[in-house]
Amino acid sequence: MTAETEAMIDVAATHRPRDLTGARAAVLAARDDDANILVRGAGTKLSWAGRPTTGRAWHVIDTRELNLLVSHDAGDMTATVQAGIALHDLQAELGRAGQEFGCDPPGTAGRSTVGGVFVANDGGPRRLRYGGVRDHVIGTTVVLADGTVARSGGDVIKNVAGYDLGKLWCGSLGTLGLVVELTLRLHPVPEATRAVRVPASAPVAAAVVRDLLASPVECSAMEWASVGRGALLLVLEGPARGLDTQVDAMIAIVRRHGAEAEPVDGASDQLDTWRQAHSAEAPATRARATSLPTDLATIAEALTAAVEGTPVEASLYSHAGLGLHDAVLTGGDTRDHAVVVNRWRDAVTRTGGHVVLRERPAELDDHVDPWGDPPPARYLDLMRSVKTALDPHGRFSPGRFVGGI
Amino acid sequence: MEKLAIVSEALRLELHDVLGPAGLLTEWAQRRTYESDGLTGYRAVPAFVALPENRDQVVGVVRACARHGVPLVPRGSGTGLSGGALPHPDGVLIALSRMRRVLDIDAANQRITVEPGVTNAQVSKAVAGYDLYYAPDPSSQVVCSIGGNVAENSGGAHCLKYGFTTHHVLGCEVVLPDGEVVELGGPTLDPLGYDLRGLFVGSEGTLGIVTKVTLRLLRRPEAVRTMVADFATPAAAGDAVGAIIAAGIVPAAVEMMDNLAIQAAEDDAHAGFDRDSGAALIVELDGPAAECEASFADVVGLCTDNGATAIRIADDPAERARVWKGRKAAFAAMGRLAPDYFVQDGVIPRTRLGECLDQISQMAAAAGLRVANVFHAGDGNLHPLVLYDGADAEVTERAETLSKQIAELCVAFGGSLSGEHGIGADKACSMPTMFTADDLAVMDRVRAAFDPEGRCNPDKVLPTPRLCGERPGPYKPHPLEAAGIIERM
Repeated sequence: MTAETEAMIDVAATHRPRDLTGARAAVLAARDDDANILVRGAGTKLSWAGRPTTGRAWHVIDTRELNLLVSHDAGDMTATVQAGIALHDLQAELGRAGQEFGCDPPGTAGRSTVGGVFVANDGGPRRLRYGGVRDHVIGTTVVLADGTVARSGGDVIKNVAGYDLGKLWCGSLGTLGLVVELTLRLHPVPEATRAVRVPASAPVAAAVVRDLLASPVECSAMEWASVGRGALLLVLEGPARGLDTQVDAMIAIVRRHGAEAEPVDGASDQLDTWRQAHSAEAPATRARATSLPTDLATIAEALTAAVEGTPVEASLYSHAGLGLHDAVLTGGDTRDHAVVVNRWRDAVTRTGGHVVLRERPAELDDHVDPWGDPPPARYLDLMRSVKTALDPHGRFSPGRFVGGI
Repeated sequence: MEKLAIVSEALRLELHDVLGPAGLLTEWAQRRTYESDGLTGYRAVPAFVALPENRDQVVGVVRACARHGVPLVPRGSGTGLSGGALPHPDGVLIALSRMRRVLDIDAANQRITVEPGVTNAQVSKAVAGYDLYYAPDPSSQVVCSIGGNVAENSGGAHCLKYGFTTHHVLGCEVVLPDGEVVELGGPTLDPLGYDLRGLFVGSEGTLGIVTKVTLRLLRRPEAVRTMVADFATPAAAGDAVGAIIAAGIVPAAVEMMDNLAIQAAEDDAHAGFDRDSGAALIVELDGPAAECEASFADVVGLCTDNGATAIRIADDPAERARVWKGRKAAFAAMGRLAPDYFVQDGVIPRTRLGECLDQISQMAAAAGLRVANVFHAGDGNLHPLVLYDGADAEVTERAETLSKQIAELCVAFGGSLSGEHGIGADKACSMPTMFTADDLAVMDRVRAAFDPEGRCNPDKVLPTPRLCGERPGPYKPHPLEAAGIIERM
């Protein structure tokens, strides 16, 4: 747990369940103590989300001993895991069968857990091809605050029976229940990976991305970073035999925009470097913006404008084909970071997107709301109804979610 | 009765104010045309049929229903196969078929916004000029509506590679059961808050009425290659599918028909399938041309290695269309084999195909009925067609029982009651074979968060004592409960 989050709550007990029975017992212990519950995996995202509500004591449920690969059905391309298994360990195991969980958030070399990535709705560059973590989880087992064990979905990829509650848990940041087990759909590990680097300002990059999306070239990742004058990393994956033709087609499109494509050695390692740039450590601040893919230049220019007159330095790392952007702010103090976040947020909101804070110094929240303005009243009301239906006494991480949920 | 009549007249006046005379059907003969959806075995004539033309009219109708405590049932094109749009006899059926405008096309960002009555095929047609298309392709795509697709989380033949409706819906405008309007999701990824859009897709009309949908579009693949391979048995064809998957190839579609289905389809569509084949496997690959060619050669080799008796490659678009016409005609063609059929939609782990088909064939023999099999072989989604003659009540009942047993067999194999048709009215009482009472109670809590009065498409999806008896379906312990890991609360 990060020191900041730990300092904010009064931890009365810590549980390290190893199975569903233990997980349920931990939740019931918190209920019997009338305590709140903070669920943590590796703790890599504890600085995301809002400040926990004070008042009650807290029980921490540490999922890292829920670390089994329960089953891997290679022929069906599915696997069932306990939520606390490290993503890195899971990928190593699946890799032996030539398969992978198609989710590549930054920090996988660390101990990020599959459950943590899921409830944080985290992802990486290859989301462009494989979809978000929400799209990979086909079944879930969750313990609710009253100890009810609820399964939804199932073990097969195609399944529409009952409500798809997995979508609710994904991105809920531990505010609805304790995810104990997940069933995942898997993908084959691509035979080969190729990448080119394209020095390109944001407007040129936006134009290249737009043309690539409209072309038959199927990129696995399109990353843009503001380093230097800006650069794109374009990644292709697939059977080795077909890949050269695609690379050539991609380079031809890049050149139409007067840009140069530089082939990259060690494409997978390069991609990993670009992926890791999407994370930050305090005292840096990471702000995540969403936009339409074509708004890349607007988002980048707004960030440049937002730091003007402040001592803050900002770098932008974009999943350009997806319209997801991470601004990493360094230098200055938390007030300066707040100024930049507010300015950038205003501009991003005008394009129809939004900005939320991820890793950041805890004191930043004295000056700016990590979630921004509350969503429309009826929508917030509906989210509160869902929260109340599942966690009527507000035990799971109260205060941490949108609108103070 | 008298009280109901008073409510009914007051409601009629309010609905008339909202919809005008052309938007409200009150005559029995008119209402009766809406008595069922694609699952015609279930029928109920609704008290009123509302035909709104815009969101405000939907809001007006839903508010009127809320004021009078009257149930409402949304309906798209009425092609659903699980009775999801079965009307409530005391309720208002809200048919969205007049809301069929394409509102916005953002080709650069590969998004389209449409009203719910737009058909699935119209979406792809509207963006064909940009080389874009909408991936989910249920067999009824020419008729079925996007609103219905959202409600049912519809699939199709190509979801092995491209996923289901839920992977392609970015945002929904929804009229909640109290008449309030909310936007769930939106044009950008990862909207703020809980993913209520993800929850809403596939909720079968029980959480609200969708009045606007923003969909993700895909670039049309550069190349498409299609082949039909014949095998001695479906199990042998299943082995070939296993080999394709094991080679790391993800085809766009893998479909299978058994001999009975081939015969019916061939009589109807003359698509060139071999009538003597034990199983026909259709494999389609798409993507960048070079990649597609390389993988296609591999697939042909893998089918040959796994005992294909013949391979026919559909080389041009006309030939490919003929193959698909044959496959998609399979359901309709059953009329040539028997006056009536029940179609199931269960899913099994693909690797257990052979075993499962053996059991289905034994169960059919025991019931003295014929079952034709058409299915999405890549993802284990079966569509067994139980053939019968509806003129004979005893045979009908036997066929219905067999059909239900097949769906529940899929659950016993570790699969699902439904891969794409939905639970609706048809399979609600089978839900306890797949989920525990606790699982279902939690779903019901979520439902109540949207619809505390339980008026939105009641008696669908989740079993109720009224619907299924006091103990809905045979109780089966949760696997975790059987293992002594959990207890019943």
